[in-house]
Amino acid sequence: SNRSAARMKDRPLLRKGFYAAAGRGAPLDVLSVMSPAGCSHVSGFKVDNWKQNLRVIYQCFVWSGTAETRRRKAKSCICHMCGAHLSRLHSCLYCVYFGCFTKKHIHEHAKNKRHNLAIDLLYGGIYCFVCQDYIYDKDMEQIAKEEQRKFFFFFFLFSPLSPGVGEKYSTWEPTKRELELLRHNPKRRKITTNCTIGLRGLINLGNTCFMNCIVQALTHTPLLRDFFLSDRHKCEMQSNSCLVCEMSQLFQEFYSGHRYPHIPFRLLHLVWTHARHLAGYEQQDAHEFLIAALDVLHRHCDDNGKKANNPNHCNCIIDQIFTGGLQSDVTCQVCHGVSTTIDPFWDISLDLPGSSTPFWPLSPGSDGSVVNGESHQSGSTTLTDCLRRFTRPEHLGSSAKIKCGGCHSYQESTKQLTMKKLPIVACFHLKRFEHSAKLRRKITTYVSFPLELDMTPFMASSKESRMNGQYQQPLDTLNNDNKYSLFAVVNHQGTLESGHYTSFIRQHKDQWFKCDDAIITKASIKDVLDSEGYLLFYHKQFLEYE
Amino acid sequence: MSKESQLRALVNQKLIEMGERERLKELLRARLIECGWKDQLKAHCKDVIREKDSEHVTVEDLVAEITPKGRALVPDSVKKELLQRIRAFLAQHATL
Repeated sequence: SNRSAARMKDRPLLRKGFYAAAGRGAPLDVLSVMSPAGCSHVSGFKVDNWKQNLRVIYQCFVWSGTAETRRRKAKSCICHMCGAHLSRLHSCLYCVYFGCFTKKHIHEHAKNKRHNLAIDLLYGGIYCFVCQDYIYDKDMEQIAKEEQRKFFFFFFLFSPLSPGVGEKYSTWEPTKRELELLRHNPKRRKITTNCTIGLRGLINLGNTCFMNCIVQALTHTPLLRDFFLSDRHKCEMQSNSCLVCEMSQLFQEFYSGHRYPHIPFRLLHLVWTHARHLAGYEQQDAHEFLIAALDVLHRHCDDNGKKANNPNHCNCIIDQIFTGGLQSDVTCQVCHGVSTTIDPFWDISLDLPGSSTPFWPLSPGSDGSVVNGESHQSGSTTLTDCLRRFTRPEHLGSSAKIKCGGCHSYQESTKQLTMKKLPIVACFHLKRFEHSAKLRRKITTYVSFPLELDMTPFMASSKESRMNGQYQQPLDTLNNDNKYSLFAVVNHQGTLESGHYTSFIRQHKDQWFKCDDAIITKASIKDVLDSEGYLLFYHKQFLEYE
Repeated sequence: MSKESQLRALVNQKLIEMGERERLKELLRARLIECGWKDQLKAHCKDVIREKDSEHVTVEDLVAEITPKGRALVPDSVKKELLQRIRAFLAQHATL
């Protein structure tokens, strides 16, 4: 056959022929072999009832779904030459022969018997000994997919698996519409390690730095970014004042690749409309803005009207990402009955030493163990210290007696807060602004915070273990569920009367940037960890990876 | 076959028979995706293809290139978890 004909029809890769006769066929750019045209050597196999035969092979030896097929597979799938059961076992497609690939036993069989096709028992790929590579034949792929789907359907239906293992992970395949869109929009943006995608300055519209730094934190919250960039918000609001839509627009602006600063006038206007208490050109509190923004976003994510019926059972993206559960246990000092309530929270506000509320001492029996990589040194307060204080049992005093359900009278009690459910993004608010009756001041005590945080000691479940006598809780290294990574820090410089907000955000792995309104500069991890810290944003680790 | 490889074959047979092998495979797959191993290796594959002559790379070439790195990059926590699972399984089906 002439070379051009081979190029059109067969498209095998150029390889030194396995048989003397082979070695024809034009070398082909791997990239242009987009449609699985397979190779010409499968034609010898595709005769008679080949489809059914292939199905049987998949069911019996690759994706064995029934107890019977599993037993047969366990017994018979060993190399006919050396007895090995691993080593990438392959089954000949023309006869009953199993041979290992690694030691080339299946290759020998193929050569001796001139059976040029074999199937990989681990992944179901079809290997052609003439082409010396795995080939992708459209018809055979179709059968493979069907058999695999059948197997997995029953597999997940009938066997209990560990948490985290859900449906079969399948790769993305573009739809016709998506292919069209990709063709009409040929510009591609490449994300390299040093690219500045997602970074954008924000113009200060008159003391709006409190808003700008929260916007920086939100646009760099990975799950939120993924939600908006995948266009997941379907707006149900009639008017043009949906804050979620505006947020979506904001993400488009941030990831547009434009390097000049963005002017968030529409966002500011919407915030003024929906959170009147923040309107006006005076400096506001960034923390208040964060809560107000989350609240409005939460309200505007209609989630099919479910919110109207049951505001506590919303499943909007805000709740999915930011909502945690705080458990409050009130213990009656007389009958020791415990009354428990769980309240949702979006942030944890922590008192600092130097405030008018007494900070120390912690309980004298507190362990000297190293928690979160920090050992407590006198003089320097850590985030963990603040969290320990937050979750310590507090005696409520004789002036705050609680009606005890067990004693049927007012009794003194202790109250303790612990985390019942951790949010995916945990925001810690260091209460630096004191607004008591006589005192308005800013507490500038340095509080050190870690890059990685383990919330296990502050969980309700850990408290229960401690109460059951297991005081020294060995850190469960296999349970990654409570581990967090820092990704944004909001700082306040200056005094209560006149101050300025800036933020640090993590853009890529360990690349940090300082955002000062319109000015974005590269920052070191040391810069971030040495900063005073006002709002600390942590993200659950197991959802994001290095 | 040595005693050790005989034992290995027996264990493997039992794992297949009881369907545990497939469960372990799926668990492993999920863990390796979660920790970013799959993406890391995918990126490495692309690098290898770019370096070599992209017209003539076979699956074999890729397997040879990425296997050492792939093995080294599996996190210890994942290995520990699987080992624990297998131990538990063997303890349950102790008639070996």
